[in-house]
Amino acid sequence: MTTVNLMSLNKTYPNSTAPVLKDFSLSINDGEMIALLGPSGSGKSTLLKLITGIERPDSGDIQFDGSSILNIDPNKRGAVLMFQKSYLFPFLNVEDNIGFGLKVQGVSSQTIRAEVKRMLNLIGLPGIEKRKSGQLSGGEGQRVALARALVTNPKLLLLDEPLSSLDTEVRMNLQEAIRNIQRELGVTTIFVSHDLGEAMAMSDRMALLLNGEIVALDKPENLFHRPRSVAAAKFMGVSTFLNGNQLTVKNEALSVPKVSSDQARLLSEPSGRYTKLFAIRPEHIRVQKDGCENSMQGVVSDCVFRGEYVEYQIAVNEMTVRARMPMPAPMFPHGERVFVKFPREHLFEVI
Amino acid sequence: MKRIITPLFRFTLYLVLIAPLLLFAAYAFSTRWFFPQPFPAEWTTTTFQRAIHDSRTLSSMAQGLWIALLVSVLSLILALPAARVLGLRKFRGRQLAWLLLFLPTIIPPLAIGMGLNILFLQIGLAGTIAGVILAHIIPTLPYTIFTLSSAFARFDENYEFQALALGASPWHIFFKVTLRMMTPSLVVATLFAFLISWSQYLLTLLIGGGQIITLPILLFSAASGGNPSIIAMLSLLFVAPPVLVVAFTARQLNQHGEEIREQY
Amino acid sequence: MRSHPIFSPWLSLAPALTIVLVLLGASLLYAVAESVGYISVIGQSKFSLDAYRNTLDLNSEFWASLEFSLWISIVSTLISSAIALLLAVWLSERRGNTDTLALNWNLAFPHLVWSVALLLFLSQSGLFSRWAASLGLISTPAEFPVLVRDRFGIGIILSYIGKEIPFLTITILSVLRSQSVGYDVVAENLGASRWQRLRYVTIPQVMPALLAGSLLIFGFIFSSYEVPALLGVGYPRALPVLALRFFLDPDLRARSEGMVISLIITLIVMIVAVVSLKMKDEG
Repeated sequence: MTTVNLMSLNKTYPNSTAPVLKDFSLSINDGEMIALLGPSGSGKSTLLKLITGIERPDSGDIQFDGSSILNIDPNKRGAVLMFQKSYLFPFLNVEDNIGFGLKVQGVSSQTIRAEVKRMLNLIGLPGIEKRKSGQLSGGEGQRVALARALVTNPKLLLLDEPLSSLDTEVRMNLQEAIRNIQRELGVTTIFVSHDLGEAMAMSDRMALLLNGEIVALDKPENLFHRPRSVAAAKFMGVSTFLNGNQLTVKNEALSVPKVSSDQARLLSEPSGRYTKLFAIRPEHIRVQKDGCENSMQGVVSDCVFRGEYVEYQIAVNEMTVRARMPMPAPMFPHGERVFVKFPREHLFEVI
Repeated sequence: MKRIITPLFRFTLYLVLIAPLLLFAAYAFSTRWFFPQPFPAEWTTTTFQRAIHDSRTLSSMAQGLWIALLVSVLSLILALPAARVLGLRKFRGRQLAWLLLFLPTIIPPLAIGMGLNILFLQIGLAGTIAGVILAHIIPTLPYTIFTLSSAFARFDENYEFQALALGASPWHIFFKVTLRMMTPSLVVATLFAFLISWSQYLLTLLIGGGQIITLPILLFSAASGGNPSIIAMLSLLFVAPPVLVVAFTARQLNQHGEEIREQY
Repeated sequence: MRSHPIFSPWLSLAPALTIVLVLLGASLLYAVAESVGYISVIGQSKFSLDAYRNTLDLNSEFWASLEFSLWISIVSTLISSAIALLLAVWLSERRGNTDTLALNWNLAFPHLVWSVALLLFLSQSGLFSRWAASLGLISTPAEFPVLVRDRFGIGIILSYIGKEIPFLTITILSVLRSQSVGYDVVAENLGASRWQRLRYVTIPQVMPALLAGSLLIFGFIFSSYEVPALLGVGYPRALPVLALRFFLDPDLRARSEGMVISLIITLIVMIVAVVSLKMKDEG
């Protein structure tokens, strides 16, 4: 249906010096669901505003199927939005809300009625046409908002954290529903989120945004297991980074995966500055009583029982190592001397 | 003790509030109510009949209604764009804008009216309906702007973005979404602009200069030495629109009462 | 709709601001011009400060009027504030908003009508006088005390407090309703008595709003015309009444003095308004 090209977009708001978007480029394939993940202020919302036409970029281009849409009026672009709040018009019932986009296009009321009916079946809420929008639950409201967005057969669907105000269970159901409907209709979708789990569950590809730039773009599983940069790794929940000095303890080097030929030489020099940086996911770190290969000694500064896993904070030399082990896992009192083990196969290089 | 005091107190409060209406009715619909009689002895609708057939009274009401209607519509048109930016945007000089629009509520109508009297005499607006309307807009505009801007401050612009992304034209959005969602505040703002204009005495006197006669002008001159029955009847006619408006907007008033200050 | 940088907010503000500033600016300009001798109606255009000199002359009626205006404004404001405070505290302890609805009822009676009502209630041939007579307390209307159109402005003061008490009560009540729910309970829990809670918790909370509101109504009463014109006596007249009579005087030289008085009223009201705004900011 639609491929979307965002090309070298720049945007700085008036009365502000810092750009919100810096030379931002991204290509989205037809029918793809791409997640934009980033903290607030990273430029996600601005990007959506540029695409919908509420704001104009300072430079760069936005293309749908190879042709620029920048000079098309916002209401003619076919990029529809769904927000955290449903924004169902309170003065219209469900049917008129869903039919809004068709009505302003001048579609006959008979067609609208049929289309609304089809959409209500699709979102799994048949027969609620005459209900007032105030009578819907949060999850129902979002489903209706989704139907309202999709009924116009949009070129691009933009989801701006549509689930973040819902309870966990409703949220899980809706994640699944949105994903299925999106696949079924094959609509190209941009999904903005700050929730890592949700972004991974929903998207074909994930783009990590920081200060208006993409720091990583890949399939969720690749980003999760092997983020390439420190920034990307931090996004994905990694907090333990080891450089050369930390990899060498009392002349006893930790062993790391082979990454380059000069690694052995650098590691053999106790005071040598080893420029490579390695990272490890918290759930791959082992905390244990006895030392072993590839382990370092430290002191327990915190140990929290979380139900399905135990979370540790261990002070090792000057650094704090955060680890997480699934149950059953040992509990340690504060101040206990323990060893943290970094299994060799789980250490990966980052830049 | 407390059981008695509270209802008694409340009864007194309500009595004070309703008393003027009862009083006016007693005077307006009675006749030959001589001095020591505590209550009217004879009831009649003669004064009422005479009032609704009196061309002076009728034309003053019609004129007042027209003026108030046009004033409230014009205030609304002038206030909407201003209220929107004041309610939704943060910009440099916002405080200043507030202060300037606030000025008409601080500067006494007396001073405004006397100055405008001279100005309008020179440009030929004195004694005309247009002049009176223009003068009435000065006190109504701030109230309209305050009421609407606080409504805009509660309004979420994403409703508009939503409608825009769904393909609605800006025109359609303004009339069918934005105004629709602000209807309660619009109603309150319009009604109170209407009432401020309807009850305006001093500005009408100074600008109308005897050419434009509205009900408050008639009432004022009657009250300066007239027949109590006629005074009461004119009072009843004068308060009828406000009483209706306040009764019908009671609920909204609880939210907006603050913004409608005592100028009115 | 869209926040185009070229659509500066000032463009939206322009219509309203233009009307307000042009009309206010022009009217004040004409007022000042006329006060210093430029009377366009009779084509006189000679700068002179005579009007100011005559007005501020120690023997002029201005001083008696100023005293009278200050008297009615201050007394009305103080009485209204005190009663409104008590009423608001009393109402805030009661749930439901029927009472607030009742207070809004006051909006249905403009000052003019309220004054007319007082006239019919309190004049010597009014309703209360009739009741007093039928109870045998008095025998002729002249024996009933002069409560309207009296030397001390009792009728004027009664008229204002009747209108301003509901206004101030609603102002204070909204402050109390918006924040005091917890504090009062906390203070009670900490051992404060009913009186102490009023003294140390409630009053400090509403003080800024009460002060700002009081100054506001002071300015309003000080500068308004209808009530003293209707319920006042020939001497002393309230300042606004004096100003308008001078302004409409067939002797066109009196116009300048009317303007001078109106400008003095405006100046005093503006000073009070600035103080009131300052207090609101601090509150």
